[in-house]
Amino acid sequence: MNAIEVDKLRKTFKVQRNREGLKGAMLDLFKREYNEVMAVKDISFTIPQGEICGYIGENGAGKSTTIKMLTGILVPTSGHLKVGGYVPYAEREKFVQHIGVVFGQRSQLWWDIGVIESFRLLRKVYRVGEQDFKSRLDELVERLQLQDLLNRPVRKLSLGQRMRCELVASLLHQPSILFLDEPTIGLDIVVKSEIREFLLQLNKEHGTTILLTTHDLQDIEALCSRVVMLDDGNIIYDGSLDHLKMTWGKGREVKFQFAEQVSKEKLSILTAGLPVVLEVQSEYEASVIVPQDANVSDVIARVASGVSISDLSIEETNTDDIVREIYRTGNADQPSKQGVS
Amino acid sequence: MYYLGLVSEYLKNYAKTRLTYRADFWIEVISDLMFQVTNLIFIFVVFMHTPTLAGWTRDEMVFVYGYFMIPYGIFSCFFNMWGFSERYIVKGEMDRILTRPAHNLFQILLENVDPPSIIGSFVGAILMITAGSQMGIDFGILDMLLLLIMILGSVLIYFGIYTGLTSISFYSDAPTGILPLVWNIQNYGRYPLTIYNRFIQVLLTWILPFAFVGIVPASRFLEDKGMEQMALLTPAVGIIAFTIGLTMWNVGVKRYRGAGS
Amino acid sequence: MRNSAYLDLIRMRFLMMLAYRVNYYSGILIYTLNIGVYYFTWQAIYGSQQTLAGFTVEQMTTYIAVSWMARAFYFNNLDQEISREIRDGSVAIQFIRPYNYILVKMMQGFGEGIFRLLLFMGPGMILACILFPVQLPTDPKLWLIFAWMLFMSFLINSQINIITGLTAFFIENNQGMMRLKRVIVDLFSGVIVPISFFPGWLITLNEWLPFQAITYLPSSVFTGRIPDGDLLGVLAIQLIWFAVLIVPIMLLWRAARQRLFVQGG
Repeated sequence: MNAIEVDKLRKTFKVQRNREGLKGAMLDLFKREYNEVMAVKDISFTIPQGEICGYIGENGAGKSTTIKMLTGILVPTSGHLKVGGYVPYAEREKFVQHIGVVFGQRSQLWWDIGVIESFRLLRKVYRVGEQDFKSRLDELVERLQLQDLLNRPVRKLSLGQRMRCELVASLLHQPSILFLDEPTIGLDIVVKSEIREFLLQLNKEHGTTILLTTHDLQDIEALCSRVVMLDDGNIIYDGSLDHLKMTWGKGREVKFQFAEQVSKEKLSILTAGLPVVLEVQSEYEASVIVPQDANVSDVIARVASGVSISDLSIEETNTDDIVREIYRTGNADQPSKQGVS
Repeated sequence: MYYLGLVSEYLKNYAKTRLTYRADFWIEVISDLMFQVTNLIFIFVVFMHTPTLAGWTRDEMVFVYGYFMIPYGIFSCFFNMWGFSERYIVKGEMDRILTRPAHNLFQILLENVDPPSIIGSFVGAILMITAGSQMGIDFGILDMLLLLIMILGSVLIYFGIYTGLTSISFYSDAPTGILPLVWNIQNYGRYPLTIYNRFIQVLLTWILPFAFVGIVPASRFLEDKGMEQMALLTPAVGIIAFTIGLTMWNVGVKRYRGAGS
Repeated sequence: MRNSAYLDLIRMRFLMMLAYRVNYYSGILIYTLNIGVYYFTWQAIYGSQQTLAGFTVEQMTTYIAVSWMARAFYFNNLDQEISREIRDGSVAIQFIRPYNYILVKMMQGFGEGIFRLLLFMGPGMILACILFPVQLPTDPKLWLIFAWMLFMSFLINSQINIITGLTAFFIENNQGMMRLKRVIVDLFSGVIVPISFFPGWLITLNEWLPFQAITYLPSSVFTGRIPDGDLLGVLAIQLIWFAVLIVPIMLLWRAARQRLFVQGG
């Protein structure tokens, strides 16, 4: 069964145009002008039950608009969609009983009172029985280690603590589909990996379908078997992450800082024979781009054998880079490896 | 039952929030009351210079004003959505509301309850009783019942009008300024209709029926005001206004377009 | 800061107000409605009586229209703006900027005032004159004096707003204060009831308060109720209040500075 079915979904917005200057403002006083903007352009995809799917794209690509249509917040301009067997906007109040939503940037908890109070209220809102609520809360609290936080007001929680509470809040009613909009934004690495682990477990044990938007490639790597990529309202890629990275990722970038002056020639000799791209920033700094299929440790070993390194860091290509790369060439089906060769 | 349960739960959270901050409760009450006192002062000052206003005595006017305050206090307690556009549409909090399985308007109303406002209702009741006993009006059980129904009707009128007007935010992203406009009109529902010209009379009776939140229902309990029959329409007008307002709202929500993006 | 920068503030605010123009279409209607209802109420109050508290029916009508439309000009939300900037902490930056915060606020208020004068009070007055039997004076001298007094009303009302706004430094939540202020200003400035209708002790009290200088005095002059001989006195009252109100503003601002430096915002 499919958890989410989307067919030729479209959303257009009317945007008011403001004319410039005093004269423009005066003109606006009497007659306004509008532009139509199509945020989502007839996209189609399906997500089977139990899948974790990453929904990526640059800001303004139409991610949030899609998520908001899927969760029943926005009414589509045209097209069909079915989520968990419901048409979200048509039967919203019944439908939302079966989904959980976390907007990373916005809280659904009461700011000034203990977290537990928010949970209690949500129990009532979602009509969860006292017994179910207790056992569910205990489970979630233990998993996410919130025991000590329950009575603290939200405003006194750290971002990581708050995000874990947001997750609990969105899961109290055992939704079968979970929507996460930037769930790890601004969190430190430890909390990020805790949350990823938790989501994986949730998916495994309860078969919860998860759709998440993120800018963090590691989120997707850790969680998603599938990636849907959006650009300017169109789906430009739908498939596995590996395939995407293979064809579009520039690979990883190893950044070196040297303790001595190093010439470009010396580095070229050291890395000769490896399928890498060398970029020298200064006599003390250089970076090496290593494609997905090559080995990073080889590169580091080679360089370290010839010069003394004071510092190094390895950076993954993030989804924004990939999207930008795809966008630059305009089409996801025709990969080119000019970045590497 | 579900919704009643939610009311108590939200009120509990309100109380807890207030207990965290503690202050301000009485300041709010006093400034609310001061606003009403100004209107009373107007009435008293006016009657220093004239024995009657279009056939109404001072006590009668105070009685009407007392009635006016009761539904207004109840309404203000549960309808505190003056910042709706800013908070829920511009900042996008409507997103959160819409992903929950209770009626969205109901959630928003409850999130913004303002219990101090209800004190105004008690003051209004005291004014009514004081002015009423000055005039020697007795209230029987039946009158009390009728009064409750009238108040309910008046509250529904407020809710209907303001829900409908607030829902304009869904249709237009520009501030329309219509809410303060109407809010100013409402204050005239407490003076005798006969002092106005035909246009305003029709406006207050049938378009924005604020005559039914003050002068008309209150006149039912006074003598020879010639509006006894019309007063009985109050609950019906309430139901109609409420239905129109709620429909505008429900249709409007479908046009909600989210913040940003 | 150069003077032209202050002038620029006026222009900026004027443009900003244009963006909220729709508020003012309805604002004109609100004021007209208010004038209308008070007009009808006063007509009923007068009944068959010709004068009450020194006002003839005709004078009353003009007084109501002029007072409300004057309010359309001098009214502003400087108190709200200032307390918001104090609460969200952005006022702290103002202390290190090379200009005077109070003066900046005044200029912004004045930009708003010009907007209100041209797009609110002006059209509103025309509308009121069409709808109600308003009798404007024909003597150009009265118009000139009224214009000056209106400007003073703006200054005094803004000063009161600034004082109320600045209390946010010392009171955690001054929302109630601000609402109270608005009620008191409307009541005692004479917009709702001309001061001469009040009982004697309230009239005396009002003579010692700045509020009547905002509406009652200018509107009384404009409706021709002040004899020529008293004009200078009335003008002096406004000037005196303007000067007197500078003192609490300075004191509050200085105390706020102290407080900010000690507590670190």
